[in-house]
Amino acid sequence: MGEGTIQIKDLVKVYKDGFTAVNGVSLKVNKGECYAFLGPNGAGKSTAVKILTTLSEPTSGIVQVGGFDVKTEPDKVRWEIGVVLQETGLDKELTGREILEYQARLFHMTRRMAKERATHLLEMVGLENEGERQIKKYSGGMRRRLDLAVTLVHEPAILFLDEPTTGLDPLNRKAMWNEIRRLNKKEGVTVFLTTQYLEEADQLADYISIINEGKIVASGTPEELKDSIGADLITFEFKDEEAAGKAAWLLGKSGKIDYQKGNIVTVSIQEADRQVVQLLKDLSGEQIEVARLDVSSPTLDDVFIRVTAEEEKE
Amino acid sequence: MNRIQAFMIHTWILTKRSLIVLIRNPFTFIPNLFISLFFLLVYTGGLSGIAQLPQFGGADYLSFILPVSIVSAAVGGAGGAGQSLVRDLESGYFARLLQTPVTRLAIVLGPTIAGMLQLIVQTLIILGIAFLLGLKVEAGPGGVLVILLLTVGWGLAFAGYSVAIALKTKNAQAAQAGTLIFFPLIFLSTTFVPLELIEAPWLRAAAIINPTTYLFESMRAVLIDGWVMGPVISGFAVIGAVCIVTVAFSVRSATRAFKRE
Repeated sequence: MGEGTIQIKDLVKVYKDGFTAVNGVSLKVNKGECYAFLGPNGAGKSTAVKILTTLSEPTSGIVQVGGFDVKTEPDKVRWEIGVVLQETGLDKELTGREILEYQARLFHMTRRMAKERATHLLEMVGLENEGERQIKKYSGGMRRRLDLAVTLVHEPAILFLDEPTTGLDPLNRKAMWNEIRRLNKKEGVTVFLTTQYLEEADQLADYISIINEGKIVASGTPEELKDSIGADLITFEFKDEEAAGKAAWLLGKSGKIDYQKGNIVTVSIQEADRQVVQLLKDLSGEQIEVARLDVSSPTLDDVFIRVTAEEEKE
Repeated sequence: MNRIQAFMIHTWILTKRSLIVLIRNPFTFIPNLFISLFFLLVYTGGLSGIAQLPQFGGADYLSFILPVSIVSAAVGGAGGAGQSLVRDLESGYFARLLQTPVTRLAIVLGPTIAGMLQLIVQTLIILGIAFLLGLKVEAGPGGVLVILLLTVGWGLAFAGYSVAIALKTKNAQAAQAGTLIFFPLIFLSTTFVPLELIEAPWLRAAAIINPTTYLFESMRAVLIDGWVMGPVISGFAVIGAVCIVTVAFSVRSATRAFKRE
């Protein structure tokens, strides 16, 4: 019924020392969606993941993962989820193959199934030649990949990733992104990830919530969030100042002139990527030649900075 | 698969894992075993003469000191259970296990069973060497079984303690420091001479309240005197009582460690 879904209603988490880590979060993740929790350190992301993955109990509110309540049916939730935490969870004395086989056996697979599953997963994360080596001899990137493989042993319907690429070099980060994307898009695994990196959320997520001080302060698709900060910018370069003057007058009808100096005109406009074609037609209709142009959209960084700045003002 | 089958599989897998890690790191148990054998050889060689004293009642000093060697070796195996849990806590494997439907008890039981198996093997090695040195067990093969059972009992008591410390402190140094309790336990006792020969009143008092004394005495009974039931029964009773205390302590720590914040 609720397979592959996450539902949170009015989640509050107050720690024993009185610190409120999560303060009234509600959200819904559909099956097969990639949902990102974006926020700075200490925003409450990890606490939320701990609650969703049955490591911590909610103080109040309802949390359902895969259709099961994390408070009353944690063991059923555990069959549905795979979790990659910030720190890998590997016994480094074991070999890659051993830890995968043990994990499979702990999920009640037969010895033969466990063996096959381990072989398959080692290949999947590109460690087929390293399976017989002890994990302590692995590099950081290899450990992360193995950690992901261990998480996938029981083919979870929902995958939680807590800052999956923190501390990874750009190459390994790209590889991790591709793997997450493949699991999400090709295998239909629901993904819930937390990140501090706007680029990561933008690259992977269908839906983003920005969390700050335990509260969701903004949410939407990456495009919606970017739209919320305002229009895109198109910068035109013309052959001389005269052409620029004529163009500015014409462009001013469609958008707002943001900047004009010399042969450069910048216009602020909604949905620039669509509008730019029409604008070019208008300009050529008036025999104005465009030498160069650049379309830029607000980045999630802009959204993030604005939203968190607003929080501070309050 | 029902709960009991699941529990059996989980415990077996995690025990197997602990044994593999143990075998891969022989230096976690070799020094301890070496020291214990060293005790046996050096004390037998150096102190045998005092067994001439009437208080020894004609006992062979090898038989007298053997329980000390066995018990000190057992500390290694039993303490390993706690060390292994600390290692898991530090590596994050513990958290990983908690996110799976693994029976919580199996997480603690795996390393404990592995520690007990290690301890049995060590005891058999020490006994084997003692036999080569001319050991005679007055109570026969049944006596050897009594010694093994008492050792496992003592090991379980110590494992319970080490697991409790590990889960309570979640810190390798603290768990390591916790094993130091083995010094007063082994040496404030009838370690080298019978109670009648201990002169300092404080050491005598310490020996009387130290549970290890009753363990030594019951092992010595089967080794030297044969089936003298008094000391054997009090040995099992004391070890049983200590086991109950430390295992309860470890269950309490484990419940806290497993309880979700």
